[in-house]
Amino acid sequence: MSSVKIEFSHLSKQYKDVLAVSDFSAQVISGRVTGFLGPNGAGKSTALRCLLGLVTPTGGSALVNGGPYSSLHDPIKQVGAVLDSRGFHPGLTAKQNLKVMASASGIDFARIDVVLKLVELEDATNKRTKGFSLGMKQRLSLAIAMLGDPEILVLDEPANGLDPFGIVWLREFVTKLAAEGRTILVSSHQLAEMQNTVNDVLIINKGKVVAQGSIDEIRQGKTLEEAFLALTARRSA
Amino acid sequence: MKNLLQSELRKLIYLRSNWLLLLWSGLFAALGTVAPILVFNSESRGMGMGFSGTNTPEGINAVFANAAGGYLFALIMGILIMTNEFRHGTAVGTFLVTPKRSTVLVAKLIAAAIAGLVVQVFSFLIATSAGVITLGFFEPHAPVTSELLWKIFRASVLSGIVLGIVGVGLGALVKNQIAAVTGAVIWTLIVEGLVVAFVESVGKYLPAGAITGLVDLDFGSNDFNFTIENYLSPLMATLVLLGYAALFSLVAVRTTLRRDLD
Ligand SMILES: Nc1ncnc2c1ncn2[C@@H]1O[C@H](COP(=O)(O)OP(=O)(O)O)[C@@H](O)[C@H]1O
Ligand SMILES: [Mg+2]
Repeated sequence: MSSVKIEFSHLSKQYKDVLAVSDFSAQVISGRVTGFLGPNGAGKSTALRCLLGLVTPTGGSALVNGGPYSSLHDPIKQVGAVLDSRGFHPGLTAKQNLKVMASASGIDFARIDVVLKLVELEDATNKRTKGFSLGMKQRLSLAIAMLGDPEILVLDEPANGLDPFGIVWLREFVTKLAAEGRTILVSSHQLAEMQNTVNDVLIINKGKVVAQGSIDEIRQGKTLEEAFLALTARRSA
Repeated sequence: MKNLLQSELRKLIYLRSNWLLLLWSGLFAALGTVAPILVFNSESRGMGMGFSGTNTPEGINAVFANAAGGYLFALIMGILIMTNEFRHGTAVGTFLVTPKRSTVLVAKLIAAAIAGLVVQVFSFLIATSAGVITLGFFEPHAPVTSELLWKIFRASVLSGIVLGIVGVGLGALVKNQIAAVTGAVIWTLIVEGLVVAFVESVGKYLPAGAITGLVDLDFGSNDFNFTIENYLSPLMATLVLLGYAALFSLVAVRTTLRRDLD
């Protein structure tokens, strides 16, 4: 049984002089890892921010679990998110940051130790996040996303800035969560990074959908990069 | 709402810089009571500023009214509560947990009112204690009555709550932490004082003027033509201050409701 977990329909976002997302329609199916791919500035982050209610669309809609994010009851128990603005305070410890989040949505503090263990940060629990390495910060972001044990995960460029160990760790982490049956939408501008991790691909360029389908359909025996170049060339021709 | 308020209070308590700010508010207010006692009783006798000495009730009034003077720190606390979210990008996390932004803002306004209250009660206690101890070295002096202390305590409590709330509104409006705090300091320590001193008709409606009206004490200063009759009555002053709280609450909610976050 597969169902639509995330649905963009005719989503548009016009900033002052940039049309960041333009008549963007796509679906994310439950229980699958969907790679949201496109070059820098393609509109990935803007689309995801619209989905999470952080940015108000200028047209169309983005729904998660059948409704706008803002209408979800206890949203972090349904959707976990990692965005590039990290969402935790440098002056607080990892645990304090998680307590702030947990208490806002009535999540039991016992869950905090579980998610810190999950991302292998149990040794840094009581360290202030100011001193965290990039990889540790990224793992804390993932711990925050997992706090509500959500079925859906939205990850915006989670591999950005990570060293090769971090990228391998992340790939395994995502694979593990996917195996638990979660629905994962993960964006990246590095096409190669994702091709062995994702089931479905959603390609965006200049705010518009370029292609959407299973990884095999999109690749057609080529690498993702070659497929992407072919697809964008065909579109702009 | 209970959960959200608890979360906001955790942010306040966990952050060490907030405790430092609380300490500063106490020192600032204590300086306000101790310094004039020393000046009044020095050779220069108030440097000809026309204030009465600490052997008169007016002199005692002038000294202890400063115990309510830590409200700048309540204002800064409110500003920090709001601008910290933008400065560190935690607004994203906060609104992911609670997408109903007006609810978050109400929790922040309540947290800021509590923080402002704590700042002002704390600095009142420190400043009055320091004042009473310092006066002990300069007998004889006019009595420090409980009526006097009650008036100042009343003003401390209300100004703390109101300026905490005003700070959240200001922070939401300006967003930039350094700009908002700098603006608040310059306004409170320089601009507002000048307006209150020289354009009384306007100044009595500004927060500092309203707080002076609420303190409702005669300082007996002739040089600045100060007379408490020129200020608002305590009731009017309370209404004006509550008006500021309402106005800035509205500003906080309205500016945050539809703002795009990055
Ligand atoms: N807050 C903003 N104000 C103005 N323009 C923006 C803003 N955020 C993004 N943009 C622009 O929108 C376009 C898409 O950006 P973004 O969604 O961040 O792309 P991506 O995440 O795919 O790199 C870019 O041209 C970017 O400069
Ligand atoms: Mg991006």
